[in-house]
Amino acid sequence: MAFVEVEGYSFAYPPAEGGATRLRAGVSDASCADERAWVVRDVGFQVEEGDFCVIVGATGCGKTTLLRSLKPELSPVGAREGSIRAAGRTLVEDGAVVQGFTPLESASTIGYVMQDPGAQIVCDTVWHELAFGLENLGVAQDEMRRRVAEVAHFFGIEPWVRSSVEELSGGQQQLVNLAAVLALRPRLLLLDEPTAQLDPNALKRFLFMLARVNRELGITVVMATHAPEDVAAYATRVVELQPLGAGASREEAEEKIAPRRKARREALAKADVAVEVRDAFVRYDRQAPWVLRGMDVRVRRGSVHALVGGNGCGKSTLLKLMAGILRPQRGSVKNALAGSQALMPQDPKALFVCDSVAEELHEWSARCGYGEDDEAEALRRFGLAQHASQHPYDLSGGQQQKLAFAKLLLTGAQLLFLDEPTKGLDPASCADASRIVRALADEGRTVVVVTHDLDFALVTADEVSMLFDGETACTEPAEEFFANNLVYRPNAHARLFGEV
Amino acid sequence: MHHAFSSYHPAVAFAFIVSAALLSMAAMHPVYVALSLAGALAASIVLRGARQTARSLAWVVPMCAIMACANPLFSASGSTELFHIGGLVVYVESVVYGLCSGGMFAAVFLWFASYARCMTSENSLALLGNIAPTVTLMASQVLRLVPQFVSRGASVAAVQDAASAAAPVTKRDAAHGRFRIVSVLMEWGMEDGICRTDAMRARGYGCGAKRTTYKRFRFGRADAALTAAIVALAASNAGLIAAACSAYEFYPAMTPLHMQAGYAAYAAFLAIPIVLQAKEWWQWRSLK
Repeated sequence: MAFVEVEGYSFAYPPAEGGATRLRAGVSDASCADERAWVVRDVGFQVEEGDFCVIVGATGCGKTTLLRSLKPELSPVGAREGSIRAAGRTLVEDGAVVQGFTPLESASTIGYVMQDPGAQIVCDTVWHELAFGLENLGVAQDEMRRRVAEVAHFFGIEPWVRSSVEELSGGQQQLVNLAAVLALRPRLLLLDEPTAQLDPNALKRFLFMLARVNRELGITVVMATHAPEDVAAYATRVVELQPLGAGASREEAEEKIAPRRKARREALAKADVAVEVRDAFVRYDRQAPWVLRGMDVRVRRGSVHALVGGNGCGKSTLLKLMAGILRPQRGSVKNALAGSQALMPQDPKALFVCDSVAEELHEWSARCGYGEDDEAEALRRFGLAQHASQHPYDLSGGQQQKLAFAKLLLTGAQLLFLDEPTKGLDPASCADASRIVRALADEGRTVVVVTHDLDFALVTADEVSMLFDGETACTEPAEEFFANNLVYRPNAHARLFGEV
Repeated sequence: MHHAFSSYHPAVAFAFIVSAALLSMAAMHPVYVALSLAGALAASIVLRGARQTARSLAWVVPMCAIMACANPLFSASGSTELFHIGGLVVYVESVVYGLCSGGMFAAVFLWFASYARCMTSENSLALLGNIAPTVTLMASQVLRLVPQFVSRGASVAAVQDAASAAAPVTKRDAAHGRFRIVSVLMEWGMEDGICRTDAMRARGYGCGAKRTTYKRFRFGRADAALTAAIVALAASNAGLIAAACSAYEFYPAMTPLHMQAGYAAYAAFLAIPIVLQAKEWWQWRSLK
């Protein structure tokens, strides 16, 4: 018998009644659950002990629901068919949930890591977080010390084991989550898009550690993702819930956008400067080190200007500086469009203040003077019409991003600041975001975008500035920038390129 | 930063500082107040550093002076007349009493400052962990959420400020926007709560086993010995201080002071952090 067996499994959420959906777990499935439809339909696969299995599908195709069905504590409530067995126990038999594990066994046998690194951390310090699961299981003091020490050592967490979790980067937080689950010594590890919110470097590091867990410790891994190419080197088995687009190579993508690039270049040649930062020095505290030291950058009116660079190079600080949230301690910032700007935060939730999508779009109508027709048009343009009455938090990540775009565009802002607009998005939503940004530039609006996603920058930006150590290392038109970089470059092949 | 108690279990620092503060509060006696003040000052320098201590003194000293001056104005009792302004007679006893209460106030303030330095949230939780594991877990969660709320609030405010294209027209509008941040944060927090509850259950929270508590600090032999010494000294000093204070009177005339064994015992108790620090200093010095 295989280690995990899923046979003809289907699942449907109970029909939603009014606001009842708000309380249901599994946010990414929200859009599928409105009518009584099968979220997962007739899925069957087997995983052998020691496998690294990847479950592939676009956002909202039921990956989360399927994974949760494999973890008794998180098992969703609803109608099901088929059967599921894991680690020698039965979880679902002919559509009925069976209690094959005691809660204690389940917690220690099956580990589960979710998407959002910060939201699933429970305690305030790293060591307490590592010990949390062990405390729950009532593990004795000495055994607890040994296990925390073991996982901290394995993941290289030792140097910051006493830190507060809030100080850690997203990548470090996600490593802590993995380590905390591993301290329970599970035999099966379930991960739901664990790298969706990480930057490319952190993503590679996380997957490398995960592969070590799989190969060196022999722990079976089942991971859901919308980017199977990231784990192609480690996966031993792939389950496709839904076929993804084939994608295209970088050359094909560049060829496709070449005419547009030429036209844009000609249009921008005469453009004047919208935002200019000169010799800016910024630090957050008198004792703190400089975040920006002698930063120079010019953004041309009507261009899409991407700011790229590693973690802590000052990208987000520069964005805040341009937006006028921060002031430089030295140097100057000139913003010709300061009166007509808007900022899209990294997490679109920071922009939402209302209880429904429609209200959200209506919020600024009096201030900015747009009417109900404009709101309806925005709903249609961003494909949110059938979600108008939903709560913004019930939308998927991609839809939240679109709602944020819609809300900001209704203001008629001529200058938009975008902070990591593609974080956590699947290639289709990413391509959507790129299309929206390019359309804005075509309308003559100026967009400054901070991003880790070089594929996105390649197809979207007119100019790219690379920041390093608080300075601009270079500013070049996108074409030259990516042609001249040897190491810091987009993927050779990506699904985003197929959707350009 | 390292300090004299940081190589010991938090219980040691707790036992010392709490008993020192209690004894300082109880000992209303000129010599004892002087000793308390000297001890509190020395402990503050050893535990918090000279610069921090000087910074607290900048307002503790004037407070003391005010208390010393104010007492003779409000309580005109005593027998040794110092001088008189108009109808107001100022007695020596009254001035000394004011000085003593000012000194006691200063000492207690410095003990609290030292307490805050030694008993960080983590240390306090380590003490609480044995008594109330659920409270410890809750406190740990709250400590995690507070900074998260603050940083999120800042980011929501930044987004509102940066959206000049949708700037509020009226002041009322602007105030309303700020007020809304709170409800946004609440809702966002609850949304996270769903995810966090899942994460907790997935790792066996409420699985029926009796929860244990991971102890960051071990209570070793050295900790036990030092705590025992502190408790024994504090208890014997409590007796001696009670005796000394009941035998001493400020009004109408001050009881004459003479040397007592109790002073030495109290000084020995107060010297504990200084001895710890000196020991460490000596170790590092001899290694050079």
